[in-house]
Amino acid sequence: MNDTHTNINTATDSKTSVQATDSRQTAVPFSFAQQWEFTLKELRETLRDRRTIVTLMAMPLLLYPMLGLGLRFLAFQESSDQKVEYRLAIGSETEGAWLSEALQLGNSLLAASSEAKEQQPAPDVQLLVPNDPSEFDLEALVKNSAADVGVRVQLNGASVGNQFPATARVQLLQSRDSVRSRDAADYVQQRLAAANIDWIRQTSELNGKPFRLPVEQIRVLLEPAETGSAVLGLLPLILLLMTVTGGVYPAIDLTAGERERNTLETLMALPVPRFRLLVAKFVAVVAVTMLTGLMNLLAMSITLYALQLDKTLLGGDGFTLGLGCKLFLALSAFALFYSAVLLLLTSSARSFKEAQAYLIPLLLLSIAPGLVILMPGWNLASGTAALPLVNMLLLSRELLEGTVTLLPAMVAIVSTVLYGVAALAMAAQVFGNDAAAIGSRGGWKDLLQRPKELSQQPSITAALVGLAILFPAYFVTSGVLSRGDAQPSGRLGLSAAMTIALFVGLPWLLLRWQRIDVLAGLGLKKTSWHYYVAAGMLGIATWPWIFELVVLAQSIGIRGIDLSQIENVESLLAGWREVPLWLIVVCLGVVPGVCEECFFRGYLFNGLKQHLNATWTIVVAAVAFGLFHVVLAGGAAPERLLPSTLMGLLLGWMAYRSGSIVPSIVLHAIHNSTLLLVVQSRDLLAEWNIGQVEQVHLPWLWLAVSAGVLGVGLMITRLAIKPAPFSTKEPETI
Amino acid sequence: MIELSQLTKVYGEDVVAVDQLSLAVGQGEVYGLLGPNGAGKTTTLRMILGLLQPTSGEATILGCRVSTDPLRMKQLIGLVSASAGLYQWLTPRELLQYFAIGFGLSLEQAFQRTRELAEVMELERFLDRRCATLSTGQAQRVNLARALVHDPPVVLLDEPTRGLDVVGAKIVFDYVQLLRQSNKAIIVCTHQLEEAERFCDRFGLLYRGKLRYEGTLAELRASTGQPSLVDIFLKLLRDDGSGNGSSNIDSAKEAVLAQ
Repeated sequence: MNDTHTNINTATDSKTSVQATDSRQTAVPFSFAQQWEFTLKELRETLRDRRTIVTLMAMPLLLYPMLGLGLRFLAFQESSDQKVEYRLAIGSETEGAWLSEALQLGNSLLAASSEAKEQQPAPDVQLLVPNDPSEFDLEALVKNSAADVGVRVQLNGASVGNQFPATARVQLLQSRDSVRSRDAADYVQQRLAAANIDWIRQTSELNGKPFRLPVEQIRVLLEPAETGSAVLGLLPLILLLMTVTGGVYPAIDLTAGERERNTLETLMALPVPRFRLLVAKFVAVVAVTMLTGLMNLLAMSITLYALQLDKTLLGGDGFTLGLGCKLFLALSAFALFYSAVLLLLTSSARSFKEAQAYLIPLLLLSIAPGLVILMPGWNLASGTAALPLVNMLLLSRELLEGTVTLLPAMVAIVSTVLYGVAALAMAAQVFGNDAAAIGSRGGWKDLLQRPKELSQQPSITAALVGLAILFPAYFVTSGVLSRGDAQPSGRLGLSAAMTIALFVGLPWLLLRWQRIDVLAGLGLKKTSWHYYVAAGMLGIATWPWIFELVVLAQSIGIRGIDLSQIENVESLLAGWREVPLWLIVVCLGVVPGVCEECFFRGYLFNGLKQHLNATWTIVVAAVAFGLFHVVLAGGAAPERLLPSTLMGLLLGWMAYRSGSIVPSIVLHAIHNSTLLLVVQSRDLLAEWNIGQVEQVHLPWLWLAVSAGVLGVGLMITRLAIKPAPFSTKEPETI
Repeated sequence: MIELSQLTKVYGEDVVAVDQLSLAVGQGEVYGLLGPNGAGKTTTLRMILGLLQPTSGEATILGCRVSTDPLRMKQLIGLVSASAGLYQWLTPRELLQYFAIGFGLSLEQAFQRTRELAEVMELERFLDRRCATLSTGQAQRVNLARALVHDPPVVLLDEPTRGLDVVGAKIVFDYVQLLRQSNKAIIVCTHQLEEAERFCDRFGLLYRGKLRYEGTLAELRASTGQPSLVDIFLKLLRDDGSGNGSSNIDSAKEAVLAQ
């Protein structure tokens, strides 16, 4: 130790020391610079390790060329477009010359009479002629699959007068169990038969008798209804499994490795929430997984191109840059999900060995859905789009096949990302939980253990898990409801019941499980009357602007519902005319307004604010709200993303300012109800020359008035006394 | 500066690791928390640090309570543990900067603090080498420096000399002197009793989670009539009312003397 410095504070009397002293007043706040430093450390730890680079770079380069050969074999086996080669063994050169001439004649005759030539490429025919006929055993060649068919030609030598070379007796030797041998024999037989028929025709016409076959045959080749190539089904499985292998080692190293190296205790001694430390590790694992995915994608595309498999398998333009980008997007979502799952599993392990023991079953389990999707009838639909792993495999396959549709693809990606976020939040529960104490560890039971003490707010983990459950549940139940044949009023009732069950029932159950006071957990609290007034004004004045945004989005081409679905909506609206207006307003305006607020600005919002500041809490809850509104029964409505997210921002700001969700409920319910009343009054609007509501802008006067009311509402919200600081002391519960 | 009040940790239903421990450590004071393996020393440090939740009781530093604000508590503490490892793929410079920023310093302040500590702890020669290539002594210096990156008012040392040779132990001794001169409140947990006599101002003898004796060496000598910490410790074992039998005491004595 340096003797010239007897006091370690000496050099820090200046700026550093002052800052350190000041920082004692509050806990370390979140900053991107700090989070980046955490991430950088994890990336350094991971990417400087040669083992990671080997997995990342070398594995795809080695694997895909080898796999490519196998894929080519499979592809040629199943491809109907591929040129087939038949090997015909024949006893002598003379016989070969005759057969060649006869087949050529047969080919030309068939080509002239059949349409099949345009649909199926002619096979290549290879004649195997012996150098030494005495050692040539035709039967053995066919039996040993060295030739597809053996042909014995006994030439009679007589000329028959037409193009036919000479008369002959032909014997075909075919392998009984080989499809290829049968096809080759058919090929020869068809051509010889064509030549025979042509001879009969010519002879008949020479004798002055018109020749006409009693049966005329035309073979038309049809594309199968399901293009489901087994190779195309295998490719996503290989791609996804290879991608996740990149994340396995870093996930173990950055979690169980911390314990094994005895660095976990000092890490846990940092004054930052575990979630943030784990997010840094997560980013590093995702980065490596995505790099592995990219390498695999490149290696796969190069292999497909080099082995000329791209057009064979994918058809059309083969493997394009656009397809590569779409696949990378799907891989990225999958990388997010799988990296979080890996961290969840490895976070409770004390050593590499233990972590590996957890991951091997996971990898084996991951193969099962890959094999399932090879079975016919599996596609990305309402039932499968929210199934973890299966959805990404199906999405990748449909991207390769070019049959993907927007809504299930979006649901697959969003649900996968949400599952990933939930898994990460759960991993944070386990990672370092009493883990710094050597000899103790966070366990799985920590995740399922019911808290012993009562609390006021849900944790961020519980909030994100709730979101991850709600999204697929909402998607699936909306799909089921849209298929029902119920009467309009019955359907409205069911829709309201579903909204209550999902958006209030689910958080209620989760809050009860966590022993959290339900009213406090949902943010149902008293607040100043100013906020109710402001919420009422904003509720009335917001819809024209949301409407204009939807129209704007549609005018620039962002539109998810096609014409047939618009017809469905039109018929639905027509059906509603039979339903009392109050029922429509209650089921589609008030109930969603109340219930969605309970979840988004209540349960989710309160969980998020445990770890995020006010701005991020409002933004995250608003984006989740926006994404939910893109999912419509029977189709996606991307044009709703921006307006709904903006609406979510306004509702979140109202909840933040008022410290309660009640004003947000008022705002939301009035907004929904007003919009419904406008839609139901379309005839009246038509009289005012606003007939095509979805295409024509609202009158300027309307917009001006609503802008004024909106401004006043915002001002009241801004100026009203805020009941309590964000996320500390809460206002009195109702 | 540090105050422990009735701090208790019970594992499961009946395993009492720390039993109603109360003590106080002032600024510039080195407090030796002594005891055999399993006495509850490390558990106590982890409760102060907020890594373990106390079953009951409270730990307070400069008015900050671990039960209500564990993150702020961590900011006030530097931890040195003999078992702590280093990140093998980072350099000492990167490691120190990482922890400095983790403790809330800005990037510039982290650079400055790293430079200062590198000079004081003599790290300059190997500051940019990978930690995996450092000798045990060099790694020990980095570990000691890491605990001071945020200039904490309190430093907790858990078995700081375990596994070190004479030179390594001398580094730790100098380090503790440095901390004392910097007016930090220090708790040293060790079972190296003779060594503790050299650098601690006051002692607390922990046995089976309970604080049996507390005071300066002179006070302990006066109250127990024993000349050294080793003898005081042996007396403690003899007086232990739980009656573990003489064979246990003999084996404990052998262990103490072997140290």
